[in-house]
Amino acid sequence: MPQPDGTRLDRQAERLSAKLAESQTRKSFLGRLGAAALAIAGGSAVAAAVKPDEADAFHLCGHIWTTGSCPSPYPPLARIDRKGYPLHPSSGRPIDNLGRIVDSAGYALDGNGNRLLGPDGAVLAPGPRTRVCEDWTREVKGLRDLRIQGSWYRCCGGQIRKLTDCCSFSSRRINGDASLVGYCWGGRRVYCVMYYDTGLAC
Amino acid sequence: MLETFTPAVCGSRKRQIVGQSLFAVAAVVTSAMLGLLLGLLGSMLGAEQAVLGAAALALVAAAREAGLIRFSIPQARRQVPEHWRFELPLPVWATGYGAGLGAGFFTYQPISTFWVACAGALALAEPVPAALCVSLYGAGRALMVVWPRRRADDPTAAVERLTSRRGTLLRANVIALVACGILLAVAPAAGAGVTQIAQNALDPTVDRGNLAFATASGDVVVRPASGPDRTYNGAAEPSLSGPYLAYRDSAGIRVIRWADGTEVRRIASPNVSKPALAWPLIAFVRRAPPYDKLFVRNLVTGRVTLYATVRLPTDLGRPSLRHGRLAWHSATRKESKIMVVTLSSGARRTMAITRIGLLGNPSIYRTRVVWADARFGVTFLKQGWVTGSRRVVLARINSRTVSYWTTALASNAAYMTRWVMPTVRTDLFRRTP
Repeated sequence: MPQPDGTRLDRQAERLSAKLAESQTRKSFLGRLGAAALAIAGGSAVAAAVKPDEADAFHLCGHIWTTGSCPSPYPPLARIDRKGYPLHPSSGRPIDNLGRIVDSAGYALDGNGNRLLGPDGAVLAPGPRTRVCEDWTREVKGLRDLRIQGSWYRCCGGQIRKLTDCCSFSSRRINGDASLVGYCWGGRRVYCVMYYDTGLAC
Repeated sequence: MLETFTPAVCGSRKRQIVGQSLFAVAAVVTSAMLGLLLGLLGSMLGAEQAVLGAAALALVAAAREAGLIRFSIPQARRQVPEHWRFELPLPVWATGYGAGLGAGFFTYQPISTFWVACAGALALAEPVPAALCVSLYGAGRALMVVWPRRRADDPTAAVERLTSRRGTLLRANVIALVACGILLAVAPAAGAGVTQIAQNALDPTVDRGNLAFATASGDVVVRPASGPDRTYNGAAEPSLSGPYLAYRDSAGIRVIRWADGTEVRRIASPNVSKPALAWPLIAFVRRAPPYDKLFVRNLVTGRVTLYATVRLPTDLGRPSLRHGRLAWHSATRKESKIMVVTLSSGARRTMAITRIGLLGNPSIYRTRVVWADARFGVTFLKQGWVTGSRRVVLARINSRTVSYWTTALASNAAYMTRWVMPTVRTDLFRRTP
């Protein structure tokens, strides 16, 4: 019986991994299950359950696949809060769409934490602060069917990072090439990715 | 200098290559850093309008190099410190020599082209492109160290050959400088046609060649098409319409004849602001918490019409009223948009809307509307037409801390306030076609 050569093996492996990535996988199920568990229970119990590995990245920690980050104020660091709104990548504080740190009422703050004044000396009115997937990506890329769906977890900087797929029915992802199912479901596929630092130690 | 990078001085052929490589990298990196700083400085100073200055400098430099005029250029008449190569290890002195020559300021400049490149980088007002451009100077320095090796064992022979062609090189340099000057002068470069017209000023308004603006010190200045400026103290948010000027003061909105200061009308309320005058109509915002309301009042008949109501803290911006149309912006935490209404028909049109940027301070002139469109790291001055969907960018600022604020529009020019956020400094600029 002839031995399969390396090239043939490579081709089969490639086909298999593509098929796995394009289909509903166990990863999808686990990802959704993990998200639900995190939402319900929270805390260290979940931190232990998801058991993330330390992960290196292509363009952000925890992301070892090639899909690009969603458009955001600090590209490519599309850091979001639990509801999908942008956060400052390093400080984790809420930012508006112009990248300015804002308070809970949406007013932009200066370096001392005071509300930013306009040229006329009046406090600047709050600027838009909208969701990275549903609003930013929709407007920048012209897609109307974007949803946050699947997610997975990695250990980054000593805490659990939740990496989230922004999913669309588009067969192309933000990189411009063919998209994969990834952790999306219901016919959607991964368009771009974001991340949420949970603050839970890993 | 060239004799320095020989196997004899460096110790071996391999060490020579290491030395040359370090020299080249240091020269390119240092010159790129210089370009980066110049571009950054240009962006902070708003030096886009200096493009014509750079063009003029290139032509003057060409005249100097052609021998038509004579003047000395600023330079340090020094060579690299020779003792470094005796006292320091090769990686240090090779890198130091590269950095010193790549920076340009610390060495002999036989021709003035370097200074033209610096002026061009400053006028480019964009750090990264400026860095890329000026890095070519460092690359040239590096080339002069590496190139002679290819043609002769003795690098001085290569230099002598080059010196014998000095006349040709100088003529080529003159041609290059003239070409630079012409291209800079005619190119539609970023900011071409953008000129600063007032410092520490904001809120421009223009009508029939007359310009008015507020100052940072709390006055309103009217700058007539001819004649001296007129200043009104304790005033803000001006709006011109023919012989009339409306502005906000501590008692409300005042309408005067700007030629002699005679009061014509007054809306006495501390809650009204942001007047936009198109005599006899005046648009203004009245704050009635929790709402801001945009009204248009006929100052002759007294008729008042409500055009917009927003719930605070939604920003209802400075309106613009001209030729029977009213434009304004509203910005919430979800979206911002530019609205235009035709007063006679009540027809409304959303000129622009975004959920990811901040649109503000529109100005209208017949069918044209300009507004500021701030995104993360960049602000555009955009123009659109009420009658169509075409949009053009009139000007842009690539900065996270500098932005456009209020605008004004005339038949042949757009005016805008340029706002440096950290210092709250504002200057007025005009953009002509």
